[in-house]
Amino acid sequence: MKIMTCPLNGPRNISEFVYGGQVKAMPDHQNVSDTDWAHHVFYEKNDVGIVLEWWMHSPSSFWFIAERHNATDEIIRTYPADQLFKQRVDFVANEGES
Amino acid sequence: MSVHLDHIFESPLRGLSHEGDISIHDLTNRHRWGLRGQGAAEALRIQGWDLPEQPNRLVASINQSFVMALSQREFWVLDPHNDAADLAMGNDFTTDAYPLFCQSSHAWLVLKGSETSALMAKLCSVDLRPDAFNLGDVAQTQMALINCIVVRHDLAGDDVFSIFVDQSYAEYALEALLDARQEFL
Repeated sequence: MKIMTCPLNGPRNISEFVYGGQVKAMPDHQNVSDTDWAHHVFYEKNDVGIVLEWWMHSPSSFWFIAERHNATDEIIRTYPADQLFKQRVDFVANEGES
Repeated sequence: MSVHLDHIFESPLRGLSHEGDISIHDLTNRHRWGLRGQGAAEALRIQGWDLPEQPNRLVASINQSFVMALSQREFWVLDPHNDAADLAMGNDFTTDAYPLFCQSSHAWLVLKGSETSALMAKLCSVDLRPDAFNLGDVAQTQMALINCIVVRHDLAGDDVFSIFVDQSYAEYALEALLDARQEFL
């Protein structure tokens, strides 16, 4: 069984983890066009190399970030999401929108 | 302020014990509650609870209860000596914390006996032997392919494992434990 190291719980079987997509910079949601927003939500890069990904340890519902080589499947390191995301983003609708 | 009520959830395991060299006890109907949020630890400290210094640890606290830290922001208070009661909790904490109703969400099983680690080795991939998994250690992992929380602690002088699984898996978890236990009877 492949082992992944959860930053909160330590090494665990890979079957305890759920993939959550690539880590991407979010465009300014107040001003972005629908096309660019759809691109952000639905498209992912397909380069070969080390990628940043969201993963969740399912028994603890702990989301974190993993650096993984997507060709060799080697997990280089994992760390809590708050190392990258320091500030909460609030989604407040513009006036006139519901 | 909104108040949320956690009603008593009747355990499908009916609070029964399965005696033997390894005994299995259903403590689902015992009292427990939790707090989550950035200020959860502070809110509990204000109420006088002792807290573990790091996540995935459990400590004995006041009123013969235990406080279990599942992360820096999530704590469960476990009271194995008192029956569950309807629990009303509001969001009136002075710190950023909100209630967590683990009384109705999770079943609580206790394993007692000298070979509990050997039994758990059949169901769970985490090393739960006493030299690797100390008293007060908590593992959030899987047992028999379902998510669970396993804790090693002292209960009335016995070294036991407490196992928490989703309520809907209570019967399945008990069945898996009873099946794994057969070779130790």
